[in-house]
Amino acid sequence: MKMKRVVSTVLAGVMAFSLAACGGAAPAAPAAPEAAPAEEAPAEEAPAEEAPAEEEPAEEAPAESASSDEAITLNMWCIATESDSNRHSYEAAIADMEKLYPNITLNWEAFENESYKTKIKAAVSADEMPDIFFTWSCAFLGDFVNAGKVYCLDDVYQNYKSELPEVMLGNSTYEGKHYGVPLTMNIVGLFANMDLLKEAGYDEIPGTYDEFIKCCDDLKAKGIIPFGCAGKETWCVTEYLESIIEKSIGADELNDVFVNGATWNNQGIADAVDTFQEMISKEYFDPAGIGLTNDEVKANFMDGKYAFYMNGTWNCADFAANDAFKDKVKVAEFPVIDSSKSKLGQLIGGPSDTLAVAASSPNAEKAAEYAMELGKYICHYGYLDGCGLPAWTPYGDTSSINPLTQAVSEICANAETYVLFGDTAMTADDASVYLDYVAQVYGSEIDGAGFIEGLASDLR
Amino acid sequence: MAENNKKSKNKNYRKGLDIFLFLLPAILLFVGILIAPIAVSVYRSFQKWNGFSPGTFIGFKNYKDLFTSGSIHFMPALKNALIIAFFSVFVQLPFSLLLALLLGRKYKGERFFLTVFFMPVLISTVVIGQLWLKIYNPDYGILNRALIGLGLSNWTHVWVGDPKTAMGSVVVPTIWQFIGYHMLLMYAGVKGVSPDLREAAMLDGATNWQVDRYVVIPIIKPIIRTSVIFAVTGSLKTYDLVRIITNAGPTHKTEVPSTLLEDMLFLRNRYGMGSTISVMLIILCFAFALAISAVFKEKEY
Repeated sequence: MKMKRVVSTVLAGVMAFSLAACGGAAPAAPAAPEAAPAEEAPAEEAPAEEAPAEEEPAEEAPAESASSDEAITLNMWCIATESDSNRHSYEAAIADMEKLYPNITLNWEAFENESYKTKIKAAVSADEMPDIFFTWSCAFLGDFVNAGKVYCLDDVYQNYKSELPEVMLGNSTYEGKHYGVPLTMNIVGLFANMDLLKEAGYDEIPGTYDEFIKCCDDLKAKGIIPFGCAGKETWCVTEYLESIIEKSIGADELNDVFVNGATWNNQGIADAVDTFQEMISKEYFDPAGIGLTNDEVKANFMDGKYAFYMNGTWNCADFAANDAFKDKVKVAEFPVIDSSKSKLGQLIGGPSDTLAVAASSPNAEKAAEYAMELGKYICHYGYLDGCGLPAWTPYGDTSSINPLTQAVSEICANAETYVLFGDTAMTADDASVYLDYVAQVYGSEIDGAGFIEGLASDLR
Repeated sequence: MAENNKKSKNKNYRKGLDIFLFLLPAILLFVGILIAPIAVSVYRSFQKWNGFSPGTFIGFKNYKDLFTSGSIHFMPALKNALIIAFFSVFVQLPFSLLLALLLGRKYKGERFFLTVFFMPVLISTVVIGQLWLKIYNPDYGILNRALIGLGLSNWTHVWVGDPKTAMGSVVVPTIWQFIGYHMLLMYAGVKGVSPDLREAAMLDGATNWQVDRYVVIPIIKPIIRTSVIFAVTGSLKTYDLVRIITNAGPTHKTEVPSTLLEDMLFLRNRYGMGSTISVMLIILCFAFALAISAVFKEKEY
């Protein structure tokens, strides 16, 4: 009897101990952020976890190998999913890197764009970032940099100065220090289905705003919907709205509002919003668009449902890869609305896609060098594939690049100013409020005056 | 005598220790998985914190902002959750009860219908969301196509994108999905009613409906109460179908507290405010559960 009790007590103790281990781990997720403010915490924790992975290969490696040749494993997260235009450039770049760095094994994972934003933020707050991660420049990366979670690339950049112009690092530079490896850069392009334009009697995309509006009227008269815009993803609406605002008030004024803290209470912006809403009320936009995702709208455009589609130039790759569609599509810059304030060559976009290195990485120095080199290759292949324009100085034969991307290159060659996408330029909280108002504009719930008043009171 | 006393005290002490040791795993799990995260959320709800930098204590400001700030949209989100709760209690549950009562009458094919009605509960919510999205699609969706076919093209809508119909387009699948779930709960109760009672009532000349009304429903009242609690708290916490069908849009017209909570945390980096919303959700769920229990208690004789 006594024996039974002893055994049962011991068993209970063992069970309690094993469960205590699990139970203890459970609250670690919410509790982990508490440790975050203490700068030492990630530094202490991360190597402790990664140490075995680092030590094992070191033990296996024969004594003769130099320490720099130690086999290491790096982890990377990005958004180049199977359906992403950039997928091929990542795969090709990583294949090259494997030959270049045989001792570095790269484990990479790709996540869908929107869910990735959530994932990377959660990983940063829990100090579980991969060594290298994809990020958007400006405010998105800025939040992580301010929290001390990103490795500074100043030292490693010295070796790449000749290949990567410093001007391309502007969006990932904070307090004079560089934290990001830019990949390709993109602008907002006005894509047109020339078959549909021909039906309305146009051989080229109209160059002036008046002609452009007339073209939209002519298209409508022929029963063709001029624009498709995905209301379910508000960033797609900003591609239209920001271009219209920029071509109404000028790039400098818009940049001041986005980045330099100028007031939103700007009559020019209100008028531009009204211009946009006039286009909606004239039914230039597909009314079904408000309930569609970007993928659906893009598919509709490629199916010939819309004459125009304004979106990032990363779409060039997909359009050029579609044999049935590639000869129909052309790209141009949105025409100037108010020529006293704006002119051609003022664009929305700039380098935003960026690779960064986690400060908590046990191999941060090597990861930084690897990220630089990888960024260069992704940029190279991305440019060849038509996913965007190169942030790095192009090399090799670039004559095979699709005509659509070459047309974008030409637009950029004549560019005067770039204003970064509003939701990238602002902090996450501000961007969310801004996108709310943009969605209300697209839903015709507020007008230009409501837009500027709301943003002026909610953002500053 | 004294020695006996000591022995029994010792025995009692060891008994207490045994109980404690056996309870320990459950206590650790309960505290670690439930109490600790809630405590951390309460603590964070008094802070302004972006998730990375050190948080600053701001007292009840988050709670005040939650109800007063126009850019947070908590009140509209709560209103939407309550709309779903209303339809769950007054449309979904009566329908579930009706099905349960009908199936309880031993009709032919009872098993078959039970499986059919329960099927939506078994299908993943993501699949259901995508299915309904296809139904609602303005171009090729069966809903608009059917309306056009019936000559009612004026009634066609961009169902999930139109502010007037967006909420309805979320409510319908949410209610449809869980009818089977509540039906199964109530069906188990209906089946538990003794056949003797049924027969006795029948012998006294009661019709089927009278038996259900005066015999079955009073007996399964505790189950109905459970269903109401599940329906209301489930509605307050609703998330997945909203995220898939409308993504809380257009312009927050279908925002519910859980989607708002996620946006606050991961989109806007406002972890303090996100914690405040989660604390409010916990309080609301508790309050409603207690209120519903109280309402049902009063009516029990």
